[in-house]
Amino acid sequence: MGGDSSSEEVGLDLLQQLELILEHDKLIDEVGFVHPDQFPALNEGPSSSLSPVCILGQSAADILNKDTVELHVVQYDEKVFWNKDHKLAISILVLPQLYNAALNAYMDANRRYKQSIRSQINKGSFDDANCGCDFDQFLESEVLKHTRALLILSYDFKSAWNSRKLVLSRKQELSLFVDEFQLSALILSYAPKSEGAWSHRQWTVKMIAEKVHDLQELVKKESELVKNIAEKSKMNYRAWNHRCWLVLYMTESQVLDELNMSRKWAELHVADNCCFHYRRRLMLRILSNGDVKEGGEKPFNYNSNVYAVWKELQWNKLLIQRYIGREALWIHRRFLSQCWIKHFANNQKSSSPHIEATGLDDFLGEEFELMNACLNTQTDDELDDYQSQAKHAVSYILWISKQIPSCSEVKLQERLKEAVNFEDLFMKYPERLMLWKKVLV
Amino acid sequence: MDELESDKHVKYILSIEKKKDDVEALLMEHLRINGAYWGLTTLDILHKISAVDPEEVISWVMKCYHEDCGGFGGNIGHDPHLLYTLSAVQILALFDRIDVLDAEKVSIYVAGLQNEDGSFSGDMWGEIDTRFSYCAICCLSILHCLNKINVEKAVNYIVSCKNLDGGFGCTPGGESHAGQIFCCIGALAITGSLHHVDRDLLGWWLCERQCKNGGLNGRPEKDADVCYSWWVLSSLIMIDRVHWIDKDKLTRFILNCQDKENGGISDKPNYAVDVFHTYFGVAGLSLMEYPGLKSIDPAYALPVDVADW
Ligand SMILES: [Zn+2]
Repeated sequence: MGGDSSSEEVGLDLLQQLELILEHDKLIDEVGFVHPDQFPALNEGPSSSLSPVCILGQSAADILNKDTVELHVVQYDEKVFWNKDHKLAISILVLPQLYNAALNAYMDANRRYKQSIRSQINKGSFDDANCGCDFDQFLESEVLKHTRALLILSYDFKSAWNSRKLVLSRKQELSLFVDEFQLSALILSYAPKSEGAWSHRQWTVKMIAEKVHDLQELVKKESELVKNIAEKSKMNYRAWNHRCWLVLYMTESQVLDELNMSRKWAELHVADNCCFHYRRRLMLRILSNGDVKEGGEKPFNYNSNVYAVWKELQWNKLLIQRYIGREALWIHRRFLSQCWIKHFANNQKSSSPHIEATGLDDFLGEEFELMNACLNTQTDDELDDYQSQAKHAVSYILWISKQIPSCSEVKLQERLKEAVNFEDLFMKYPERLMLWKKVLV
Repeated sequence: MDELESDKHVKYILSIEKKKDDVEALLMEHLRINGAYWGLTTLDILHKISAVDPEEVISWVMKCYHEDCGGFGGNIGHDPHLLYTLSAVQILALFDRIDVLDAEKVSIYVAGLQNEDGSFSGDMWGEIDTRFSYCAICCLSILHCLNKINVEKAVNYIVSCKNLDGGFGCTPGGESHAGQIFCCIGALAITGSLHHVDRDLLGWWLCERQCKNGGLNGRPEKDADVCYSWWVLSSLIMIDRVHWIDKDKLTRFILNCQDKENGGISDKPNYAVDVFHTYFGVAGLSLMEYPGLKSIDPAYALPVDVADW
């Protein structure tokens, strides 16, 4: 790390510039780390995507030939930083220096802050309240300032997130939480999987939930944030996990809204298993209507549950037939069938005007037909997608055969063995050979 | 067929320590103790742990210790967390030096993070995840202090994170993920609670992680990645369903992800190597009894001669 003092001074100077930029442009919503060699290329063309190169934006050109840039009163080295239209770019060449400076500044401020807390506890909180308070506030803002810079550079630095939590939990001011949402959203814009940022967001929501009763608006915004991030970052486990977690805080009507709204999204992202899992989470919440929370909301009744699962089954079938070979769709169907079999298939009485309630045999018959149709669409050119479709279809029926009473299982598997040539399938899908051999009775 | 480039991997791991200056190394600083565990365990599996000075490692690990609370940070001066505390304890176990610890104090720290519902917070800030349940249970078991927590509640919480597909997520209702499944199955195995698992159902989910190229992915629709060789395989072994996948193809996939010139293993063929995937690749091979490797315990993630205390 060099360790020589001149390099340290340069780092400190850069850190101060960065912190000034962040202070003066509170609305920065994108950060990019860019090699200066890319600067000329950045000047061409409008920014359209989120790639670091484009984050610099189209207006970089008109300022690049000045030596220093003035933004209100902020002076910074334009070979290192670029800031306009609430976008910030940082040269990757200075990252080690900048990181070390931010780390040292944070460690120092944090140490002093904790010391001050300790001495207050020792002295008793009422002693010289005024001067202690000013000093405290100074240290708090130091901690917030340095952690912001450090986290932008190293977003999973847990201790830095923790220090922010410490400051916030001591201040207990709702208005301060806005900054936390802003900082974590900023980091998620370029590091959409950052565990530190997601975890900090969850903590912030929990803190607010302790003070505020009506969380509907907040939950809705959080859910939308996940949707937007998921758009650019496929199958983002952390992001969707956040959304699944939010279900805990949703009202019954929000659950229904989410179910409706995520439908379109799922259709446009049929390979994103996370979104389908989210729908499963929402549906299970609906199906567990027995334990409706207090608040007098109308519990969902049996008929609407039957209808919800039935509708999802129809919709899923349509998608399976339209988008060939998508594992996520078949996985979703397993869940739906499982629900259907468990809750409704043995109920012979039809009480919904929309559907004829089917018994288990009818249901299995329909599923078998679906599989058959998928096998028969297989063309001679042996396209990958059709191969996958066949694999998933057979797997699906085999899987379902394990979810039903053993007499039905035997019948279903016998039908399956008549319909497909397993020796053939074993050759085609060697990676499933062992599993299928084991589950065939 | 490719062979495991053991010597080169050893060289690669020893070299990581020396390049502390590049950006990537700096950005990993906050979890250096995890990195140390991955690197050192790999060396041990390759029979080369003697290449490092135990005293140097142990004194550094102990500098990450917080005497006031009993937890370990990810590096010197960093806040304590269960993820780092487990790595610290595992490293000390590798060198058979648990004795340098105040086991009582560490176990009180870990036990103190158990919540009313049996779950574990990762640290004082309250994030809950089944990963932390594993860290706590594994750590306490190594320290022979499982009696300090409510094991029954801990097990029940993990079971409440089970999905209808047989897999497990971070919290109740979370999506099944091979990494989380390893944590849950590992914790259940250590506490002798695997009867809560539908082995066939989970085994099915796990072996469907095997892709055409032989590698394993972590959840449906994802590409194969070397690290899942560890998480999926160890789980399959613990529930006795490892014969459901094609081990030869998986072995070839892992070997194909080696940097044959400079050592190290990457997540996918021809990607950049890192210590994390090097560990999981070598550990995965060890689970498949690749010749010349120490065998590793699937629940404790330590060589069996270490785990056998
Ligand atoms: Zn990986």
